[in-house]
Amino acid sequence: MKLMHTKLPEFIEKMKRAVVKNTPDKTIEIRGLENLKCAKMQSLRTGRIELSVEELAKREDVQKVELIVIPRVPETMHTVIVKGIDKDGKAKKAILEVINIIHPTEEVETADCEEVEDRRPPLGKH
Amino acid sequence: MKKLLYRMIKQGLVKDFLIPLNIVFVDKKDIENSGIEIDQAIEKIAQQIKGPAGINVFDMDACTTSSDGIVLDSAIIKMAASDNGKIHREFGMLPMEEMKVTDQLISEEPHLAQWKKYYNGRKLFRGPNPAKKMIPVHNAVMTGRAVNNNSATEMMNVVTMEEILLPIFGQLQIMKDQDVLIGYTGEFISVGIGMTVAEKYGRVFPTRQFKAGDTAHGSGEYAKTLKKHIPCIVAPKQVIAKYTIDALEAGMIPGKHIGCSPAVLTIARYLGADIDFDNITEKAQEELASVGITFDSLKAPVKKLSEEEIIAKADDIVPGVEKPVRINSTEFVMKKTLEV
Repeated sequence: MKLMHTKLPEFIEKMKRAVVKNTPDKTIEIRGLENLKCAKMQSLRTGRIELSVEELAKREDVQKVELIVIPRVPETMHTVIVKGIDKDGKAKKAILEVINIIHPTEEVETADCEEVEDRRPPLGKH
Repeated sequence: MKKLLYRMIKQGLVKDFLIPLNIVFVDKKDIENSGIEIDQAIEKIAQQIKGPAGINVFDMDACTTSSDGIVLDSAIIKMAASDNGKIHREFGMLPMEEMKVTDQLISEEPHLAQWKKYYNGRKLFRGPNPAKKMIPVHNAVMTGRAVNNNSATEMMNVVTMEEILLPIFGQLQIMKDQDVLIGYTGEFISVGIGMTVAEKYGRVFPTRQFKAGDTAHGSGEYAKTLKKHIPCIVAPKQVIAKYTIDALEAGMIPGKHIGCSPAVLTIARYLGADIDFDNITEKAQEELASVGITFDSLKAPVKKLSEEEIIAKADDIVPGVEKPVRINSTEFVMKKTLEV
């Protein structure tokens, strides 16, 4: 079971449920997944993230949870598909290119935090 | 307590040009004199800096190559990126790889004949060993907002998305407390930085991906726009001319042994040095033509100039930075000391 993956909408729904499970008056804001339309989310970590969301939501000094998803490796490689479409909507030609994107690392999001607990495994581990 | 000296350009404006993050230059000898290790020194310097910073450590007794294959004295041996005093534990610091210069390496990378003539015995560093870096493609380090890329010659603030180019000759001027030009990278340098040489563990490419005579950009007339509006700090044209002439006099042929950048080709033309036109690819020709450098213009008769004349007229004849302001680096590079 632990090698299965979770549907993206289900992942988002699980996070929303985790924050209100014990604290129905608290909210969650999820950022970083807006551009994803279809994706499978690692199940093993989905459960741990649910636990983290619930844990922070339960704190008396927390009113809102933010869940921010950024690339673990801050240079990501993407395929770019350039498509030429005719007047009838038919794709005439596609050119495949590549673009490498550099992202800020997590310090940008945690700079204002009183405490940061890093529960990530080393790169390459689950 | 010993003191550690380092140089720093503060984030902000220099002569109305935007410096998008703090930029630090450290001499390995100053680190050794302070009695601590290089990594410790980088961490201690980072802790002094609020905001994002790129940190470069130099070995002034080593040597390196420019992107177009000119060998020069001194080398960056380690680069780092920090933000608010922190250095990312996985992506924040990276050493350059020392390359043993052998006859075999020189046969594979003929521009290193310059090393044999001018710098024999010096250690050689260009880029990192790809097996030792965590970032998959670029020779980059990053922490928070700070990114130090292309083996410490291009820095950016990835949140404001502002960037600055720091070609190696300009950094060397700063390490020597000499004059630099601050300006916009412009079209000539945008095209020229794509005219690379093939190097193992190169500054930009880890493998011998693009050889002399070719262009890494391969983007036609768009190449001249790629870095056009980005500020840069470069060496005065007299310095570029001197090193380029030295390379030509060591037998380097543009397009064959060293890159066919606009500056190299122009200096070769005035010096009357050979250019390997047959080896310059069509893609490279197209990019050169987009900034007005064609085979016809390079072959057109011109009064040959001596080395001294080229250096004296470098501001007029060598293409380079746009809207340059010449300034002594000590006017905007702070020398700071830290007790360690």
